Parts: sequence; C-alpha cells; structure tokens
Amino acid sequence: MLKTHPTPARGPVGESVARLDGQEKVTGAAQFADDIQFGPGLLHARILRSPHAHALIKRIDASRALALPGVRAVVTGEQTPGYIGLYLQDRHIFCRDRVRYIGDPVAGVAAVDEQTAEKALDLIEVEYEPLPAVFDPVAGTRPDAPLLHPDLGQYEAVNFIFPKPNTNISNHFKIRRGDVAGAWAQCAAVVEREYRVPHIQHVPIEPHVAVAKWDEKGKITLWASSQSPFAQRNLIAKALHISQSQIQVVAPYVGGGFGAKAGVSMEALAVVIAGAVKGRPVKLRLTREEEFFTTFVRQGLVARFKLGCDTEGRLLALENTYYWDAGAYTEYGVNMTRAGGYSGTGPYDVPNVSVDSICVYTNHPVGGPMRGFGMPELHAGLEQAMDDLARSIQLDPVEFRRRNCIRGGDTVATGMTMHPTGLPDCIEQAAAAINWGHKAPPSAPTKRRGKGFAIMWKAPAMPPNAGSSARVQFNEDATVTVSVGGQEIGQGTFTVMAQMAAAALGVPYEWVKVAGPVDTDYSPYEWQTVASRLTWSMGNAVKAAALDARRQVLEMVAQAWKENPDDLDIVNGQVISYKTEEARSLKDIVIYGLPNPDGDGWIGGPVLGRGSFMPTYVTGLDAETGQGPRAVVHYTTGAQAVEVEVDLETGKVEVLRGVAAFDVGKAINPEMVKAQMEGGLVQGISTAFFEGLKLKDGRVQNPSFVDYRIATAADAPPQVEAIIVEVAQDDGPWGARGIGEHSMVPTLPAIANAIYDAVGIRMDAPPFSAEKVFMAMRQAGVVQ
Amino acid sequence: MVTAHPGLPEFDYVKPASLAEASRFLAEHAGAARAFMGGTDIFVRLRDGAWQAQYLVDVKHLEGMQALSFDPAAGLTIGAAVNLNRINAAPSVREHYPVLAEAAGTVASYQLRTRATLAGNVCNASPAGDTLAACLVLAGQVSVHGLAGPRQVALKDFFRGPGKTALQPGDVVTALRFPLPPAGYAAKYLKLGRNTLGDLAIVGVAALGYREAAAAAGLRFRVGLASVAPTPLLLEPAALSAGPVDEAALTAAAEAVAAAAAPIDDVRGSAEYRRLMVRNLARQALTEVWRKIAA
Repeated sequence: MLKTHPTPARGPVGESVARLDGQEKVTGAAQFADDIQFGPGLLHARILRSPHAHALIKRIDASRALALPGVRAVVTGEQTPGYIGLYLQDRHIFCRDRVRYIGDPVAGVAAVDEQTAEKALDLIEVEYEPLPAVFDPVAGTRPDAPLLHPDLGQYEAVNFIFPKPNTNISNHFKIRRGDVAGAWAQCAAVVEREYRVPHIQHVPIEPHVAVAKWDEKGKITLWASSQSPFAQRNLIAKALHISQSQIQVVAPYVGGGFGAKAGVSMEALAVVIAGAVKGRPVKLRLTREEEFFTTFVRQGLVARFKLGCDTEGRLLALENTYYWDAGAYTEYGVNMTRAGGYSGTGPYDVPNVSVDSICVYTNHPVGGPMRGFGMPELHAGLEQAMDDLARSIQLDPVEFRRRNCIRGGDTVATGMTMHPTGLPDCIEQAAAAINWGHKAPPSAPTKRRGKGFAIMWKAPAMPPNAGSSARVQFNEDATVTVSVGGQEIGQGTFTVMAQMAAAALGVPYEWVKVAGPVDTDYSPYEWQTVASRLTWSMGNAVKAAALDARRQVLEMVAQAWKENPDDLDIVNGQVISYKTEEARSLKDIVIYGLPNPDGDGWIGGPVLGRGSFMPTYVTGLDAETGQGPRAVVHYTTGAQAVEVEVDLETGKVEVLRGVAAFDVGKAINPEMVKAQMEGGLVQGISTAFFEGLKLKDGRVQNPSFVDYRIATAADAPPQVEAIIVEVAQDDGPWGARGIGEHSMVPTLPAIANAIYDAVGIRMDAPPFSAEKVFMAMRQAGVVQ
Repeated sequence: MVTAHPGLPEFDYVKPASLAEASRFLAEHAGAARAFMGGTDIFVRLRDGAWQAQYLVDVKHLEGMQALSFDPAAGLTIGAAVNLNRINAAPSVREHYPVLAEAAGTVASYQLRTRATLAGNVCNASPAGDTLAACLVLAGQVSVHGLAGPRQVALKDFFRGPGKTALQPGDVVTALRFPLPPAGYAAKYLKLGRNTLGDLAIVGVAALGYREAAAAAGLRFRVGLASVAPTPLLLEPAALSAGPVDEAALTAAAEAVAAAAAPIDDVRGSAEYRRLMVRNLARQALTEVWRKIAA
C-alpha cells in the first residue's frame, strides 16, 4: 500500500497555466521527426503500391530496379512472412500473395535520394490477377460476396473480438437486452432511418514520416511521428519475431495525429526496408496524397436505426444495425466496431435494446482510429433520428433528451451501472446558452435560420488492461523532471502532466518539465496516446509517481526533524511543519539527502518517484448479448447546440453560433479544455460540410487539398461558447476525464438538426455541401 | 496515378536578358520550355506529372513586367509579373476597377497570392480561373511579345479551351491592359466555392452594367462566367438591352445566361447544380449592379 500522506489541493491543477511547449512551437524551435538530421548516410525510401482494389500477385521482378544506380535495396512481401495488427493480426507489412486496396504496399525501395527511389518504382514489374472486389459493407456481408481474407479463421485475435471465418465479417458485436420485438407494440411512435457516413481522413498538418535503422547486431531504432511508440515497438517486434528490447522507438513532437499516427501503419515499411541495408538509416516520408489513403482513414458507416417511444416521449426500444466499411485490413478497426456496439445506444436510457455492430472487410483504404473512434459516425444518424422521433410526437427535441438521457445510477445497455454524470446539466446549459426555443430573424430575405441540438457519450476504447506509468525525479535545484511515454500531439498533455506533478508534489508549475522526446528505451511504458485517455490514465500514473516522490521527501525530513510525516507538507517548493512551523527548501536535499540526526552519515538520497496505473475493473461482455458488469472505465458526456443560416440561393449553410458543454469531471487546465471544445466543434463543422473521400471503384478521387476541403478559421463560427461541467470521476486524477475526442462527436448531427429546423430537409449522408443542401431543398419544393 | 511524386522533377532554370531572347528561347524549345512567373501552378503540375518542362524561362525581371500603372486616358496596365495581392491592394485598381480587386482577392490564399500573377491566371486558361470573368467584363487586352515583336490580343479571343490559348511558340505575355471602363459603371464578382477560403470556384459570375443612351433600355450589361464551360464566357444578355430593365427582365437574363453555360459534372459539383447557380448568382450580381447604376 502506497502511503501518500495528505494530498495538497492547491494549484496549479484547475488553473489555465501557459502551455509547456508553447514557446518552442511558436518560435519554430520544436523538433519534429523530419527535422532530425542523419548525415550523408541517410537513404530514402519510396513505396510501390497496388493499382488494383483486389488482385492476386502472380509475380514480382525487381531486377531492373536493383540495377538502377543509386538503388540500395528492394524489398517485397517475401521479406515479411509474419502478420501484424493491434487487435487482429490480419496483414503483412508488405503484401505477399494478394493486394486488397488501391495503395496497398507491394514493394519498397531504398536509394540515395527520393528521386532515384521513385524512378526505381517504375522499374519493378508486378503481374497481377485482378479479382472481384467489395465496395459496399452491406453487400460485403452477403454469402456470395467475394472473400477478401480466406484465412480469417487462422488470424490471431484478442479475446474480445469475434471474427467469422469464411465471411468478410471480422467482428460482430451484439447487444440483446429486454424484449425489443415485444416493445414496438407499446410505442406511440416509431421511426426507422438509414444514414451513410463517408470515409474521411485525419489530415494532420505533418504527414507521416519514419526513419529506421538496423545496427549490425540487429538492434532497430525507429524515429517516427507517432502517437504510439510502445505499441509500435510491440507490434513490429511481434511481426518480425524478435524481442521488444531489440527495438527502440524515438518519437519527438507530433504535428497532429487525430488517431492517424496510432497503432502501426507505414512505420513498419520503413523498418523492413532498413533491414535490407543494415547500418544505414532509411527515411520514408509520405506525400500528402499518400497521407489521404495509405495510412488510416476513418471507416465509412451504413447505419440503420429503429427507435420507439411512448406518448410521454420515453424511449422504449431501440434496434440499431451498424455496417462498418472497415477497409482492406481491420486490425485496428475491429475495436472501433466493438466500441460502436457497446456504446451503440448513444447516451440514452432505453429498456429494450438490440444492437448489431458489424465490421466488414471492403476493398477500400484501411479503416483506423480517428478522433471519436466510431462515435461521430454513429451519433451522426442516431441524433437525427432521435430528433425525428421527438418531433413525431410533437415533443421539443431538448425536452426529449432531458427525459431520456443517461443519468448516474441508470443501467446502460451492456448492464453496467452508469457512474455520476453531468449530462443533464450539459443539456440545460447548452440549451440556455443557445437561447433554445427562440428563433431570430434571418439576415436577409433569401436566408432561413434554424437551431439544432445533439448530445453524446464516449468511453475510452481500449483493451481492459491498457496501462500507464510515470517517473518523477528531482534535480539539485528542486526542479522536477517528469518522464512519461504518452505523446504530446498538440493536445497539451505535457502541460497537464506538469500541472498534476506540481500539484501533487507541492512545487510551482514553472519548476516542472516533461522529458522529451518519448523514447521507449528511456521513457516509462504507455500503451498509446489515444482514446482521450492520457489526462485520466497517465494522469493517474503521474499523480502516483509525484506522491511517491513526495512521500520519500516527507519521510526523510520527518526523520531528520524527528517529526511525524503527517504533520509535514510541501508548499511552494518548501517542506514545512504544521507542528513546529519549521521550513526548509527542497533544494539540494532532494538529491544529497540530509545529515543523519542521530549520528554520523546521511539519510535520504536522490528522490525518484514511480507510479503506474492500469484499470483492473473492466470486465468481459457476453458474446451473444453484450452483457457484463463493466464494459468500460467510464463515459464522458456532453451536448452541443448550433444556430445556422441557410442561403436559399446557393444552399450554403453558415454556422452563426456554436455552444459546447461537456462534463470533464475536473478541468485540469480550463483554457485548454475549452480549446479542445472549440477545436472539436470546428472539426465537426468541417466533417459536416466539406469532408469525404470520394471513392470510385476503390480509388480515392480527391486525395489532395484541392478537392478534399477542410474548414479553415474563416469557416469557424464567429461565436463559440465552451461550457465546462464538472461531475468528478471516481477513478480519475482530481476527478478528471478525457475531452479530446468528444468535442467533435455531436457537431454534425446538431448541424443537421439545425438545417432541418431552418428549411425542413433531411439528407441521408454528409457532407452537407451547398450543392447537396440546395438540391435537397429543390426536391422538397423549398426553392426553385 | 497511385504514386504521387514527393518532389519536383529536374529542370533547367533559364533567365533571358531581354524579351527578344525570351521569345527566341521559348520558340526554339517549343514543347520543352515554359515561361515562368509565380510558379504556383507550374510547380504543382510538374510535381503531379501533369506538365513536363525541361526549361523554366524566368521572365519576371524583364522590362515592364513589374509595373502597375493607371492612365486617366488609356486605362490600367498590369505587368505580367505583378502579383495578385499587389493588384488587390493597388489604390488605382480599387478606385477604378474594384471588381478586379475583388476577383484577385478570391484566388487561393493570401500566401499564394503573393506569388501568383494575373497573367499566370490568364495564361493557364483554366475555366475556373477566378480573375477571368472579371477581366472579360472589363474588356481586357493581353499584351504579348512574340517572335515578331509585340502585339495585342483581346481577352475575349484569347481562350480556346481548357488550358488552351491564342499564344504561339515564342510568345510571352508582358501585361494585361484594361481600357477606361464606361462612366458611372458598376460591377460585381460572385464566387461560389465549397468552403470560405482558398477553394477553386464551382461557379464564378461577374456582372458589369453602365448607362448607354443608344441602348433601348438606356443600360447595358455584360456577364462573365467561370467554371461553367470549357472556356470562361463573356455574354451580353439580350433581355436587358431590348426593353425596360426590371426584376422580370433580370430573371429572364439570368435564365438566358444559365442556358448559355455548358457546365460539366466533376468532383467539385454537378452540371445541374452549376447551371442553377449560374442562374441564381447571375440574377444576384445583375440585380446588385442594376440597383447601383439605376439609382
């Protein structure tokens, strides 16, 4: 049992301190992966990719490429017999006998420069035998659909994923609760809807980049723009059948991740290519075009909803089916479909539930994690259908949500008891802030205004035992170095960790720095920087490590002062005694200790705190019913409201005002929490109006910023209000929960509901481009 | 093309000392050499492999290329190397040709506009060129230096198809010229992009109107269209010169303009939507212009 002694409740937790990484990023001093210099020995890699959506590889001849001056190596699937994958090992690093999407890596070249590598690609001959392909997830589930992974039954999978051999279904998550079939008769209103959500891409500012090097003894170093240095070490080691200790992953700042840089994607390519030129570092840098379709994309979704309520508007039954267009490999995507399954009711209290969440292989780019992890996709349709259901019994949509939203103590559809949650408060505050129920006149006769509302929930989606660890060590001058394996990807985690360490130790925030870059040889273990889990999970580890260091200091001083540690405290970097009012600076003593009060020699020594955290209370769920005591650690909940103006002349929709209210448990840094809410809202707006990969026969038609538009500052609403609700989380540090992903989840349906409020139209799929809105209005007779 | 190129292909940079030398080099290396201005299109297309060029012939420094001048008698001359932000900010442009400043300000982003030029926009002859509709309604002229020396080409005769112009091997555009616009005229450019900043036009409509005693209605209108035909279009709606101009006539004119458009379906928008937007934006722009000149 870790003895902690009293925990100081003072700042800087809860204060909006300046970001730890602000200055170096603003001045351009911060180092990113592509900035690291490797000298003249550096080789450059390019990848030959499949031009077919689905084909067998009959023959590869790289002899002409190898003969090109400047080419040092060509690797193919021959060098990668092992499988790789996070939850389901379903892919080879380079394709072996089969390609499954346009862009699938077939060969890699290392050469003295990018241009030579590029030229060599043209000299590699590949003979393909094209196969029929699957481009629609519903069609992919049919018995006569072409089979993408005939070996699905042999793939290794974690025990909470259920692949169906000899089909294209790599996971099928089910909830069966209550009596859905019997409940429809009791419903006063039932709505049935189908929505499609397109694939989108994360579009980080910094494209993927990885540099790999093997030394002569077989030790591998990988420098990468990465959200997951430890997971990359683990997965690549397993795929290459080597020890994790043989791989060192060094991960400097990340220029935007949003999930794209989680797990392993192109990093393994660089590692395998470098294995063919031992001793030489090899850099692989994706072009923006490659970024759009060769790492991860957000999965597409076909969602069917059937919802029913009584005359009072109380939800009685819900029957939802989600077909995930998960792409060529679902090694990561399977868990998104699981998350989409267990959270498939949305944040509602429904007694009778049936959810089917089906992960379908298609010959599309690889679906992977993206901000929201399935939640934006399923809430997109669900929150529109809920609005329709409310309206069908003439109930105000906000009132409908008040009556049905999940509350602390409710039993969620998986059987878990909901912890205390501020969702009802989020609904009230968001409704009040948008002045719900009042419609302002439009700014011109050719415009119409509307307001829309949506709520959300999301749990960290991860294995039940994803762990965090941290080290807190003092320097001679009592400044503190915090070491973590979680990654600063712009979300501000280093700042938050420094705040927590400072608060737990009792030293000023300015005394704390976080060691970087994350390096698997030197940093403590962290599962991945995903799932909005760092503030909560890594925060728990940092807090524990800081309290461990604090305990060591207090016990040493107590011994020196012949006092009880419980009477001592550390305040503003000084140890004080509440009993004797003695005070002493931490300087020097945290390294050199103190003279032994009982004689010669010294006590204490360099203070080094350690902390670990792993949730031990998440349980498995029944494969047929999805029932179990605790599906997840907890849910972050929230609400958004928007006011829009629709231009009847063009179909353009402008978001005039956005309100976001989320229950974050405890805002460790309120301004950064608000920034997440604002940023999520803007990304939500972007996905609502602009974003979508235009796939035609498996080919992305718009893999560049010319035709894949994203919102800029000019598209952000002039007014955004971010409201923090704090209902403490029992397993979070200072009660904190995550907020990073959640803030974009309800935006799209809130906008859809506002468009409906303004002009009375519904569209079956985003993005709600001006064209789509105009044509829908025209079809409905709203405009000519 | 599945594999996008990470960098530019190799090319030789050529810096001629005179227009004559530039014309000679370009003519001698027809098909292999391209005149080089801001580079905002050329670099992208070389990287994409859409264009091949062995030589980029830098003409930015040649005589008159950087000049922007206004003559109360002759009108406006914009050197071919003058960037779009300069045009957008120039007091003479803002005062006498505000619609040109407006159109220049809608091209790409501020950063790109510090490199991109009006002449480059014209020479690329993209049907979607944001400045072209405004240049057409302002009766722009292209100053060209060719093997035979300088000549003028009216902009309405300049565009031959997507990416195709009246330029011959050896030709270098040296300036765009705009005559003095009609007294008391008004003009408006409306651009419909997918998002607010930096997009290509799905539809671009420029309208210009002025009083003319000789016209039946006492008013004359020109409409320029971008993105809705293989070339930018210049139209003079008959409905507005035949009889009295009122809302019905403006609607009829807008319908006629939409009928003259020949849009296509592409990744940015459907032909049907484009045609509807030509109608709506033309009506909007013409109405705004009409209110100004009729007042």
